[in-house]
Amino acid sequence: MHIPDGYLSPQTYIPLMGVFVAATAIAVKKVRKDVSARNIPYLGMAAAFSFIIMMFNLPIPGGTTGHAVGSAVIAILLGPWAAMVAVSVALIIQALIFGDGGITAIGANCFNMAVFMPFVAYYTFKLFGARPAAKSRVFIAAFVSGYLSLVMTAVLTAVEFGIQPMIASAPDGKALYCPYDLSIAIPAMAIEHLVLFGIVEGVITAMIVRYFLKNESGLIYAFGKGGKND
Amino acid sequence: MKSKIPTYLQESEAFQPDIQGMRRSRFSFLDKTIMNSARTVKAVYLQAENATKDNFIHHIHPKVKFISLIYIAVIISLVSNLTAQLLITAFIMLLFLLAQLNIIQVYRKIFFLAFIFGFLVVLPASVNLISPGKIILNLITFNRPYNFWIYHIPQNIGFTHEGLQVVCMMFLRVLNSISFAMFIVFTTSFPAFIKSFKLIGVPDTFLMVISLAYKYIFILSRTIEETYLALKSRLTGNVKNSNLRKIISGRIFFIFKRSISSYENTYYAMVSRGYTGNVKLGLSAAFTAKDFIALVVIIVFGLGILLI
Repeated sequence: MHIPDGYLSPQTYIPLMGVFVAATAIAVKKVRKDVSARNIPYLGMAAAFSFIIMMFNLPIPGGTTGHAVGSAVIAILLGPWAAMVAVSVALIIQALIFGDGGITAIGANCFNMAVFMPFVAYYTFKLFGARPAAKSRVFIAAFVSGYLSLVMTAVLTAVEFGIQPMIASAPDGKALYCPYDLSIAIPAMAIEHLVLFGIVEGVITAMIVRYFLKNESGLIYAFGKGGKND
Repeated sequence: MKSKIPTYLQESEAFQPDIQGMRRSRFSFLDKTIMNSARTVKAVYLQAENATKDNFIHHIHPKVKFISLIYIAVIISLVSNLTAQLLITAFIMLLFLLAQLNIIQVYRKIFFLAFIFGFLVVLPASVNLISPGKIILNLITFNRPYNFWIYHIPQNIGFTHEGLQVVCMMFLRVLNSISFAMFIVFTTSFPAFIKSFKLIGVPDTFLMVISLAYKYIFILSRTIEETYLALKSRLTGNVKNSNLRKIISGRIFFIFKRSISSYENTYYAMVSRGYTGNVKLGLSAAFTAKDFIALVVIIVFGLGILLI
């Protein structure tokens, strides 16, 4: 899901960087209002937690293992705005220190996984109207929010890849950036996320949320005030 | 007689090894995930924090390195000439040598990442299904071409000259951008580098969040190692997958609780030092002549590459 350098043309990564910067500015304001002076250490903690959560591999029923992107579970636990800041900081550190995701693609990666995905996940979870007492419903809601948000993010990423041959090709038609057009990028990304990675994300999201629900449901943001910093 | 043993000692172990279970996973699975990840994080942290060698490249102003990173990353993304990309590769390798870094160790990781993201992912683009052109090596010949929905499968499938050029270009782009980013990371202190983000208008608040997150990550990765060792010492044999999932979910829960505790401690420590919610990062040192020279060299090199 992390887009490396070289796949996106400047016509794509510059606008996405702009959208990400604007969205993050709003997110910082929203979270600051919600958690007052504590916002900086709180967001730092949230970012570190979202980074760490991406490190955990879980065995998935069926014999495989996988790790979550984490945006869905972070959005449910911390709220979508805090998740936006937390996941984007985690992605920036990943790109700069670990080489996961490109430098020019930071805006695109953050837009996909830190802006788009947490909101899809959070509002999908809220759509189920899950309450702490209804444990099965919470589990299903968390699974669907993880699954759906990842699949939709994968399709969004595929669109970003797929438009490259249309907007940035050499005069002789040779691809300058991602060589796969929409007819290849969308099925390739959608199928693997529909049948594998989406399920991994869904299961991991559901299991972590279930564990929090069982042990300290008060820590789950999505249950508090119906999303106080929406 | 009433038992005087505390209740928590009377409870059965939550994660009993499952000897009878058919579907088991080896507990060493966790070794490969949690411990390795924690070790990687620690190793990178140490390498990045040790970026204070007595070498002129390490002493170049972080702002110059930040500008160079953005500038070179954009140049790499704009250049679509293989010779120019190869020159960038050579230039970056030269920088690694000048910085006296362990080039073999660093490039092992760089090539691994570049191989996956810059080669394997784009390899299918080398055939005429994706990149039409003159076939230089035929792979499969069908009786006739096929049409399936919106897809056209030609009679001959093989590597094309254009396709191989695309693969080489993508590989070099990914290799160059990762290697230059690594070069900057290994020659700059991360907190000092983060301050340079102010050049593009990133607010101090956001930079402070990144700096704190960076520190927390390494503290938490150490916590992961410790909790894992504590857990491992209490378990024997194989563990069922379902129990392993509970264990890992529990670890994540524990990390979350530990994160909250760290955040509260940090917050109170900041308040005791006069923090009121406003962040203003200190000014960094002024540019020296060496910094200007380094910046000019990078800019001239980039422009030269664009002219090729």
